[in-house]
Amino acid sequence: MANTKLLMTFPVTASSHMLAAYRARGGYGALEKALREMKPEQVAAEVNASGIQGRGGAAFPMGRKWAVVHPMDGQPHYLCANADEGEPGTFKDRWILEYAPHLLLESMLLAAYALQVRHAFVYIRGEFDQPYRRLAAAVEEAYAAGYFGQRILGSDFACDLVVSRGAGSYVCGEASALLSSIEGKRGYPRNRPPRLTVRGLYQKPTVVNNVETLSNIAWIVANGGAAFSKVGMAKEPGTRLISISGHIERPGVYEIEIGHPFARFIYEDCGGVLGGRALKGVIPGGISTKILTASDIGPLTLDNASLQTAGSSMGSGGMVVIAEGTCMVRLLQVLLRFYHHESCGQCTPCREGMGWLHRIIDRIVAGDGHPEDIERLYQISAWNDGTTICGMGDAAGYATSGILNKFRDEFEYYIEHKRSRCNGTLECPKSS
Amino acid sequence: MPEIFINGQSVQAERDQSILQAALANGFYIPNFCWHPELSIAGNCRICAVQVEGRSWAEIACNMPVVEGLRVLTDSDVVKAYRKSIMQLLTLNHPVDCGICDKAGECKLQDYHYKFNGSPSVSRDAKVHATKFHPLSQRIVLDNERCILCSRCVRFTREISKSYALGIVQRGDSSLVRCAEDHSLDADPYSDNIVDLCPVGALLSRPFLYRARVWYLKPTRSVCPGCARGCSVQIWHRKPEWKLNALDARRNVCIERVTPLENPEVNGPWICNKGRDLAQIFERPRAEQAMQKGLAVDLAAAIDSARRLVAASRHPVALVSSWGSNEELEAFKAAQGARFDCLVKQDWEPQPGEWLDDDLLIRADKNPNTAAARALFTHTYDDTRPLDADTDLVLIWGEGFDFARLPAGARTILLNSYLQPENGHADVFIPISIQTERRGHYTNFEGVVSEFEPCFAKRASVADAETLFASLFASEGIPA
Repeated sequence: MANTKLLMTFPVTASSHMLAAYRARGGYGALEKALREMKPEQVAAEVNASGIQGRGGAAFPMGRKWAVVHPMDGQPHYLCANADEGEPGTFKDRWILEYAPHLLLESMLLAAYALQVRHAFVYIRGEFDQPYRRLAAAVEEAYAAGYFGQRILGSDFACDLVVSRGAGSYVCGEASALLSSIEGKRGYPRNRPPRLTVRGLYQKPTVVNNVETLSNIAWIVANGGAAFSKVGMAKEPGTRLISISGHIERPGVYEIEIGHPFARFIYEDCGGVLGGRALKGVIPGGISTKILTASDIGPLTLDNASLQTAGSSMGSGGMVVIAEGTCMVRLLQVLLRFYHHESCGQCTPCREGMGWLHRIIDRIVAGDGHPEDIERLYQISAWNDGTTICGMGDAAGYATSGILNKFRDEFEYYIEHKRSRCNGTLECPKSS
Repeated sequence: MPEIFINGQSVQAERDQSILQAALANGFYIPNFCWHPELSIAGNCRICAVQVEGRSWAEIACNMPVVEGLRVLTDSDVVKAYRKSIMQLLTLNHPVDCGICDKAGECKLQDYHYKFNGSPSVSRDAKVHATKFHPLSQRIVLDNERCILCSRCVRFTREISKSYALGIVQRGDSSLVRCAEDHSLDADPYSDNIVDLCPVGALLSRPFLYRARVWYLKPTRSVCPGCARGCSVQIWHRKPEWKLNALDARRNVCIERVTPLENPEVNGPWICNKGRDLAQIFERPRAEQAMQKGLAVDLAAAIDSARRLVAASRHPVALVSSWGSNEELEAFKAAQGARFDCLVKQDWEPQPGEWLDDDLLIRADKNPNTAAARALFTHTYDDTRPLDADTDLVLIWGEGFDFARLPAGARTILLNSYLQPENGHADVFIPISIQTERRGHYTNFEGVVSEFEPCFAKRASVADAETLFASLFASEGIPA
C-alpha cells in the first residue's frame, strides 16, 4: 500500500508554519477556488462525498453532522474547531497547530463557507503554549492578508475567528462542555437531546469538529471528495495522524493511510519497542480505548473496523506502547488517577465512580487489596457504561475493563502477594 | 396530544412534556432528585431512568421528549438494576447520619434508599470527608458531605430568585456548592426556598436546625400575612399527640417552621424569607387581658363598656384592620350598619431595610387583606391627615395607629392582639385572636381568595373579632 500523505506533506523548517511558506506550498488555493468557482452547497457536497469521519475519537461521519445544519434557515450558525486535545497519549492536533496552523485556518474558512458561518471559534487547550502562539500568529497573518473579516478575497463571504483558550479541563474537550466553556460557563457537558447541531453555542446550531478532521477539508476541496475517498479504506477514507509514545524507539507523530498494518507501523515505521524488549501491550487510540496485547495486533490493520474485531478502536490516534516488564496494576492506577482528577463532577456515576475506582486501585497498589476488588472495579465500570451525560464515564470503564480483561492474573497476583509480579517500574531505560 | 405507552398502558401526553412529566401526570412514579418542575433540566442525578422497549439500556426520563408511540418501561429489571447502582453511588460518600439530620423523615435519598436500593454499601473504603456546617448565609448552613450535587439550589438562584449567589466550585467528587465571590446569599430574599428544594439534608435552615424531628410536627394550611401577595404556606407545629410534657410547654403551641404550600394561582412552590419568619410576627408578646384605661377588667365587662361607648357616640370613626379576614371584615360591615365612618388602616408599613417589592412575589403593601378591606369600606385612613375634629369615638382595630393623632376629646376602643403601650391608653381595650387561632380567608391584591386554618386554640380571655362585632354593636340592654 502506498503511503499517501495529505497533511504532513512538507519538511518542517523554522519558517514552514508561516503564511509565506504555506502559500508557497499552494496554501489558500482551495479557498480561492471555492470562493470563485463553487457554491457553499458544492463545498459541502465535496466533503460529504469524501466520506471523511471524525478524528477526535468517535469517528462520526462529518457529512452527516453537517447535514443537520441548514445554512439558509435564517439563524446564526457557529463552527468550532476542537483543539482541546487532552486525551492522554494524544498529541497529533498539536502537530497541525504548531507546524501547519494555516492549513487549519484555510479548512475552517472552507467549512464556514459551506455552512455559511459568520463566526468561527477555535477552542485550544490551555496547556498548549507554543501551539497557541503559532496559531495566534497565524490568525494575525491571515487577517492581515484578508483571509478573515469582511469581503474575503473580494467575495461577499465574511467570517471572523475567535480563539478561546481552555483552562486545563479534560472534559472541556467534549464538544458540549467546550461550548459551555466558550460561553464563559462551567465546563459541564450538556444532555442530548438537543444535539449541538440543533442547539449548540449560544443556543444556535453549531458544528464542532476536531482539528485534524477539519484540516483535511482544504485537500478535499482542492482535489475533490472522490479523490479523498480513494485514499485509505473504502469505508474509512483518508489518513490518520498517529501520535505514538511510551516504550517505542522513535516516538512522535506519524501520518499513515487508514488500513496500514499495525505490526508494520510499530516494528518498522516506529523502530520497534524501546531497547528491543518484548511488546506487552498497546493502547491504540488514547487511554480511553481498550488495550491490545502483542498477540492481538499481529493480524490487525490501523482502522476502526479491524480494531473493533479485537474490541478496541482507533480513538483519537494517541498510541501508547507498553514494553514487557511494565506493571499493569500501576499502569491502571495512573489511568484512574487521571480519570478521578478530570471527572467534572456533574453526574452521579462518574463523579462518585471515578473516585471509587481510584481509591480501590490505590489500595491494591498499597498492598491492601481484597479479592473482591477486581469484581468491584468491573462493577463500577459497568455502572458507568452508557449512564453518564458525556462519554467520559464510559471511557474510564473501557480503560479499566480492557486492562482487567487482558491482565487479570497480574491483579490477582498483586492482591495476593501485596507486590507486583513485574519489576514495578514503568520506566524502560534505553539499552544503548 | 401524542399517545405514549408507559409499562404497556396508553397515556395521552402533552406535546412539550418529557417522559418524566407525562409519567408523573398520569400516576406512574419515576424517582427524581435534580429534576424540578419550575427549574431547568440538569439531568445530573441519573435516578429517573426508564427503559425504552426494545433497547437494552436505561436512559433518563427527565430529558426524554415525548414522541408519538414511544413505549417505555419504568420498572423493568434493567431500570431496577440501574437505580440500584445510582443509589449505591449516591450513598457512597454520604455520611448516612440520618439520626442527627433535620431532613430525616422527608428526605428523598432516605426514601429512595428503602424503595430502590435496600442493601448496604458494597464499598470497603472509607468515606470521603467534606466540609460540615459551611455558612452559606446568616440563615442557611451547608453540609457538603450530605450534598448530592443535584444543583437545584444553584439553578434556583439563577433562574428563579436571580441572585446568582450560588455556584459549584472544584470538580469531580471534590465539587462543592459555594457562594459566588461577588454575590451574597444574604441579599437573596428567597434564599430559604433552597432548603426545601434540597432533596437531602445538605442545606439546613439555621432557625430550624436541630429544633424538631419532622415526624413530630404537622402542617396546617395558612396564608402568609407578610404582604399583599398572600402566599399559601404551611405552618408546622407540634402534633397534639406528641405533646411535650417535660420541656417548656410553649414548645407545644409554637411555630416550628413555615414552608410554602404549592399554589399555582398565587405563589407557585415558593415563598420569601419573611414568610419563613412568621413566628417573629405571631409570637410577639400577646395581649391577653382586657383593660379600661389601663386597668384590668374581664372581657365581658370590657365589651359591655365598649357597647355603651358605641351607643353614646354621635360621630364615631372606625379604623378597619387590613389584617382582618374576609369573614371578620364582613361581620364588621354587617354589624356596624352605617353608624361609623369606616377608614381602612394599613396596620403594617415596610420596616427599615425590608425588601420592598419585586417581580417574583414580594409586594410593597405589607398587609394581607387590604384588597378585601378596600372593596368593603372604600376609604383609606391617611395617617398624615388628622381625623375630623368633631369625632367623638375612634374604634381602632389592629395595630399601627399613632394615638398622638387622636382628635381632642375623642374616646377610643382598641382591638389588638399584641402587648403594646397603646393598649393602656385606650378607654376600652379588647384583646383579639390572631390568624393562627382561627379560620378565615384573605383576598390578595389580584383578588385570589386563600384559606387559613387554626393551628392552636384561642385563650378564653381573648375575643374573636368575628363574633365580637355582633355583640359590640347590639343596642339591646343599653339605656337610651
